[in-house]
Amino acid sequence: MAKRALSWKRAAAIGWRDLKSAPGKFGFVVLSVAVGVAALVGVRGFSDSFRRTLSVEARSLMAGDLSARIFRQPTADENAKIAGLLKSGVQTGKQGGGQSTWVVETISMASVPPDPVPVLVTLKAVDAVEYPYYGKAELEPQMTLAQALDGDSAVVAEEFLIRLNARVGQTLRLGGRNFRIAAVLKQEPDRMSAGAGMGPRVMISFAALERTGLLAPGSRAAERLLIKLPIQADPVEARKQIEAILPDAQVVDYREGNPALTQGLDNATAILSLICLVAMVLGAIGVAMAMHAHLEQRMDMLAILKAVGAGSADLLRIFLLQTLGLGLAGGLLGVAAGVGLMEAMPAVFGKLLPVHASLQFPWRSVAAGLGTGLLTTLLFCLPPLLDVRGVRPVLVLRRLVEPGPQGWRSWLASWWARRLQLGIGALVVAALGGIAWALSDSAKVGGWFAFLFAVALLVLLAMAAVTLASLRFLLNRVRLHLPSFMRHGLSNLYRPGNQSAAVMAALGTGVMLILAVFLMQAALLRDLRQTASPKLPNIFLIDVSSDEAAGVKEFFRHQPGITQPLDLMPVVRGRVISLNGKTLDQLAQDKSSHFPRQMLESAEMSWADAPPDGDKLTHGKWWSDANAAELAVGEGVAQRLHVGVGSAVDLDIGGTPRTLKVAAIYRADGQHLGARVTFVLPSGLLKNEPATWYGGAHVDPKQVPALERALFAAYPTVTVINLADVLLRIETVVDEITFVVRFLAGFSIFAGLMILASSIASTRFRRMREAVVLKTLGATRMRIVQTFSVEFSVLGLLAGSVGVVFANLLTRVLLHKLQVGFHIEWTATLVALLGTAVLATATGWIASYRILGLRPLEVLREE
Amino acid sequence: MIEVRDARKWIQNGARRVDILKGISLTIPAGQFVAIVGASGSGKSTLLGLLAGLDTPSSGEIWLDGTPIHNLAEADLAAVRGSKIGFVFQSYQLIATLTALENVLLPFELNVAGSGLKQARHLLDAVGLAERMDHYPVQLSGGEQQRVALARAFVVDPPIVMADEPTGNLDSSNGRLVLDLLLERNRNAGTTLVLVTHDPEVASRADRRIVLKDGQIVEDTLPGIAPHGTSDAADPAETSVHG
Repeated sequence: MAKRALSWKRAAAIGWRDLKSAPGKFGFVVLSVAVGVAALVGVRGFSDSFRRTLSVEARSLMAGDLSARIFRQPTADENAKIAGLLKSGVQTGKQGGGQSTWVVETISMASVPPDPVPVLVTLKAVDAVEYPYYGKAELEPQMTLAQALDGDSAVVAEEFLIRLNARVGQTLRLGGRNFRIAAVLKQEPDRMSAGAGMGPRVMISFAALERTGLLAPGSRAAERLLIKLPIQADPVEARKQIEAILPDAQVVDYREGNPALTQGLDNATAILSLICLVAMVLGAIGVAMAMHAHLEQRMDMLAILKAVGAGSADLLRIFLLQTLGLGLAGGLLGVAAGVGLMEAMPAVFGKLLPVHASLQFPWRSVAAGLGTGLLTTLLFCLPPLLDVRGVRPVLVLRRLVEPGPQGWRSWLASWWARRLQLGIGALVVAALGGIAWALSDSAKVGGWFAFLFAVALLVLLAMAAVTLASLRFLLNRVRLHLPSFMRHGLSNLYRPGNQSAAVMAALGTGVMLILAVFLMQAALLRDLRQTASPKLPNIFLIDVSSDEAAGVKEFFRHQPGITQPLDLMPVVRGRVISLNGKTLDQLAQDKSSHFPRQMLESAEMSWADAPPDGDKLTHGKWWSDANAAELAVGEGVAQRLHVGVGSAVDLDIGGTPRTLKVAAIYRADGQHLGARVTFVLPSGLLKNEPATWYGGAHVDPKQVPALERALFAAYPTVTVINLADVLLRIETVVDEITFVVRFLAGFSIFAGLMILASSIASTRFRRMREAVVLKTLGATRMRIVQTFSVEFSVLGLLAGSVGVVFANLLTRVLLHKLQVGFHIEWTATLVALLGTAVLATATGWIASYRILGLRPLEVLREE
Repeated sequence: MIEVRDARKWIQNGARRVDILKGISLTIPAGQFVAIVGASGSGKSTLLGLLAGLDTPSSGEIWLDGTPIHNLAEADLAAVRGSKIGFVFQSYQLIATLTALENVLLPFELNVAGSGLKQARHLLDAVGLAERMDHYPVQLSGGEQQRVALARAFVVDPPIVMADEPTGNLDSSNGRLVLDLLLERNRNAGTTLVLVTHDPEVASRADRRIVLKDGQIVEDTLPGIAPHGTSDAADPAETSVHG
């Protein structure tokens, strides 16, 4: 007989006919694929657009071709060298053409009189004639930056006006001088390079900053050099030269954009993609479960097809095409939703990103989302599809085919019979690792993701199965004592074909993801707040000059509400020339990449002729001579630098090289400022150098505003950082980040709910019949509603419990690694449990629509 | 007593109206065993559905013990079904997730206050399933499932039992057993029994045989008495078919 096979076209026609017979059930299947694809396309599309914006507008986003940031004021010599470099044309062969300007960024206190309460602001000073080289500062009312910053004028962010209830034209008090608010700063091109900042942004001219006296010698303000290169100049060469002139600078050229931001964006995209992948895999599992249930229900049809001559390969072809069709439909729907999601992303991410991304149709992400969606769907569906090979045509004659031998042999035999499916299961996990690798750009991350996800799913499945078995055990003991609807609803969990355990594991995964993120966030923030104990400083003073130090100390002595007196410490900046005779260049070659070169290029030193409060001597002896050629090093720094008592340290202090010997190693406690500096020296060596003082104190939180007000009036250039504000800021940022993560994790819950819906829809006919039998026996609608609601809500409650337990376990392990204490969050737990129950009940009823309105005869006649 | 007055049932299939029942009138006195017979598509099951309040007539009236059930609200209809009618279906229609005992208990729990456990156990015992009370439907044979369905139909002591081809899915010995149990109920408890069947042997054991053809009653006889021939014939013995 000639070998023949069902053509693909005919197989597609049969598959399509079969799909049309149960549109409701397959509708949910399509949705469950769409969920994951949508999330992935949305996240990656947005990330792509953002990256494109970064590269297209790279120069504008930096406001120059090259930027070099240092945390000190540049010396005249350095400025001369930079000018010389630009004058020489940076090896272009042509003279001149390059430009440079310094931008200063710091924090300070500002108020709007007559209101005496100051706020902490992020202050930026620019030379408005030069700045910016690329891009444009947008002001309202419209004017140029040079016009706005003329004389003692300032432009401020809208946030400043809102917080201080001020308006353009009013006076702003900063560093003891009055400025006129000339305009609102709507956008500054290099906002992204400026970092997060501590408060609303205020911009003044460079000249005005100098008049305020805020920039005392030794100030920690960030100075950013912006360079516009001559047209033909090689940025790489220019960069090398600048690095040579400013060895402690972070130099970036526009082609790199903002390395920290792009790196952060890549990491965030990888993590968020993996979260989306969870939703996608859950969707694929949903399709696999639906196909399994569908094939079980189609046993008769399969047997008939086989009886009339179809082979296993033909059937496989039909259902493979069906699966691909469902995957494609879900993928396309997901792409449409994903593009919509991408458009909504700025609203979700908005506050986290300093740049407005210009969105474009994300072709690459669409291809990635669609491809991943189809591939995962196909892979996960292979094991159930292969079951069609086992269907025996004899089913046409006898519904129940005689069971095989019982016992462990048959158990083994049944697994042996499924060896191909098991092999494919392993392949699926491997492929999952490959997809995760591609999405995260890391083989290690991909491998771990696949492994942990597979383990988590198996554990959740086992937990779900054990929970269901326990409930059944309990139910069998008390069932006749339960109200009828409760007994009936609970029994329905064990309905043939209900797949309760798998639904619970899928829904539980979503709950686990969201809750774990929330628990981590709550635990970390609680830890942060607890760290702010009354013993530790809650306000910090920065930029106190040597002239002001004694006065500020005195001021604090007379303030009410001080619970821990002011600890004020001088800091002098110097440079390490060599350690034990080895220069920094030599050390950098010897040591690992963690060598703290920048810390040594701009080393912070303090002086004390006895161990400062809170510092505990661990090795050596403190000097008694205030002019001894010795120094003390903190324990941590000593370990990093590999120095001990007796080591030689060559320092450049105010241009004078000095060779000092390590006399003591100390351990600083967290309550004082000792840990803030790298070295402590005898007072005689530093006392006459320009120093900036830093202070910390604990003040009754209620008294902080009054203290800030009084201090600002007396010392307008001293900046106060209130820990409560910092914590609030950290909490806001953490909230924003976790919101994004939870938002995407929400897609997993949605995928879980779609699995529930499709599982319920696949038992729809059984439910319909049950509902009408109940009606026939005299049940009212309310009774049927009660029965099914018990089933759905208990399923949700159990899925929630599985998720809650796993989330708590996971959080506990992670927090243990971070050495943060773990507490059970009862409210979150309760909300998770009830929320899942409510969602599951709602989903259950959506999937059971019209069941209540059926007339008994309609269904019973369909027998 | 069940009374049907010119009941009609049609369905609208696009522009076309399909008449399923074309004006049925009959009265079934309490305690009578009526067999409704007829070819496939003659309207037997539809008539049974109307008698039981499972469906409503397109026109006409149906009265059950003096209550008009053709225009009752759904909740009231459920109460009537629950208290007055016991059902037996060809394909048993047991709830798969409940045990045999729980299936029998269901009508009691839905319609009667108190515990029906005693009655349910007694009835399962009476149908020969004392040992299988805790089994699920899937663990029972067809005959056993139908006996559970019988016990379920009897548990609230309904005055009427309606059965749609109750022996249709069973072998002859199980079929006989089920029919015996139904008849026993009819004779000993005075329950009205309305039974739809294809099987002439089953129909021959009824007090009265109503034959349907194309949605009309074409014959209404007491076995052993000559057939009346048409639906509008008067009946001296009160077993009646009204015109």
